[in-house]
Amino acid sequence: MRRALQLLGAQLRVAALTSLQYRADFFADGVMSLFWLAVTLAPLLIVFDRRPTLAGWTFPAALLVIGWFTLLKGVLDGAVNPCLVAIVEHIRKGTLDFVLLKPADAQLLVSTSRILPWRGADALGGVAVLGFALVKLRHLPTAGQAAASVVLFLAAVALLYSLWILAVSIAFWVVKLDNLVYLFGSIFDAARWPVSVFRGVFRFLFTFVVPLAILTTYPAMALLGTLTWRTGALALSGAVVFFLAARLVFGEALRHYTSASS
Amino acid sequence: MIQVEDLQKLYLVHRRPPGVWPALKSVLRRPRETVRAVDGISFSIAPGERVGFLGPNGAGKTTTLKMLSGLLHPTAGEARVAGFIPWRREADFLGRITLVMGQKQQLLWDLPAEETFELNRALYGIPRAEHRAALAELVDLLDLGKLKSVPVRQLSLGERMKCELCAALLHRPAVLFLDEPTIGLDVSMQAALRAFIRAYNERSGATVVLTSHYMDDVLALCRRVIVIDHGKLRYDGGLAELARASRPEKLVAVRLSRRVAPADLSRYGAIAEGREDRVVFQVAQEALRDRVAQILAGLPVADMTIEDPPLEDVFRDLFAGKKG
Repeated sequence: MRRALQLLGAQLRVAALTSLQYRADFFADGVMSLFWLAVTLAPLLIVFDRRPTLAGWTFPAALLVIGWFTLLKGVLDGAVNPCLVAIVEHIRKGTLDFVLLKPADAQLLVSTSRILPWRGADALGGVAVLGFALVKLRHLPTAGQAAASVVLFLAAVALLYSLWILAVSIAFWVVKLDNLVYLFGSIFDAARWPVSVFRGVFRFLFTFVVPLAILTTYPAMALLGTLTWRTGALALSGAVVFFLAARLVFGEALRHYTSASS
Repeated sequence: MIQVEDLQKLYLVHRRPPGVWPALKSVLRRPRETVRAVDGISFSIAPGERVGFLGPNGAGKTTTLKMLSGLLHPTAGEARVAGFIPWRREADFLGRITLVMGQKQQLLWDLPAEETFELNRALYGIPRAEHRAALAELVDLLDLGKLKSVPVRQLSLGERMKCELCAALLHRPAVLFLDEPTIGLDVSMQAALRAFIRAYNERSGATVVLTSHYMDDVLALCRRVIVIDHGKLRYDGGLAELARASRPEKLVAVRLSRRVAPADLSRYGAIAEGREDRVVFQVAQEALRDRVAQILAGLPVADMTIEDPPLEDVFRDLFAGKKG
């Protein structure tokens, strides 16, 4: 664990230094974050302009889901997507060789190979939305509710990361996955809505196949105190199962790495 | 240090004729064929040796190096490097080897090379004092004083390769796999890197396995060469012995002070190359002494040199299947 934290620290150091090389990116990313936050909120404002609740969710409660969604988007844009692009590039060019030659966990190294801290500016917007929603709800979460929502958010990050590792593993066989980021982004976009909004096939799909409920709805419910312990435990178990499956599949995918010819 | 026994790597590749119809057919059915990239090679290399691993493009050199450095799993066969099975990729093994590829780089493109050095210190878990000493030694040997603090993207190809070598050697590996490390470099930079590799090998006693298409690299660094072609071992032994076995003749190059008729020249032996004032004779080793005396006595010689055949010719013969 100590070694993993040391490696993470070394990778984050490089990420920060690289970001500091390009100061303009910081300001551009900050402006873009504000813009995307407005875009994220727009559908919600339109929907709740015409009705008081949506699938049992009031506007401020749905804002909690948006808050977690925005926070998670910060993680996705700041760490997950850049690494996904980087690893697909590494596999195509054969430069994954250098990652695999290091005496460190290959999955950890590729998962932290390109972190863009400034793109994480979304996360600050997410925290602001969460605060605003709680004020509108006139609800002060108990310590237990706050802790449960944070734990479920970490499970959401683990789940998102695992889905990403599973997707990246395909790149060892298919090599060219230009549309992977877009596919990933499109599916993730549905997590801005409480999962009870979806019906039929989509409800099943977003609960069991791509469990978006775990990503944003459950942390929001935990903060409101409406999530049962049983559902919370199931969500955590789901995240652990996805994490272990992703690790197994990635290990198997590495065996199929063919490297690129020199 | 390195033992290889009947190592094989087979690839399944999809081939189809050009055109739209074959492309459409290939969506439904993909005929595949097996390519034997490495086809049952065996050899061993002692600690501290510098060995040239040679062959034409596509011979299987890089695939072999990648198996020996743990990047690729072989289809069959066994190998041990520094006592480890490479493709298990144990941390202790990876800490004892390095692979430098002339066509790929590990340096962080946007940052000065010293940031890559620092990252590698963390990744290899090198204690700070040890890292400082290794870095000082490599900076001195490679003359990196000012280069290490310049962003990598602003360095020339040769300067980047120097920094690559430094990054690859900071953990003081016992085995160096060098895959065309001098490719694309100018002549003086090639010479500088050769001198460095030799000095590093002599100082540290590290084993060096080198692939290169530049015969000057091989001549300067390797007494022993392992030659593979189409994945099969074609030769393993001394470079001088290979040259003697493949081309036993010496080349006697003569500069003439006046023109001589071609018919008169051919009396002194087979002519490998002939111009108005310069002739190169191919002379058997055992006849060399007598033939040189005859040439000096019979021709208007202004200058004379005796050379071994170029290594390029030796390898051309070998790959064409003449001898060896």
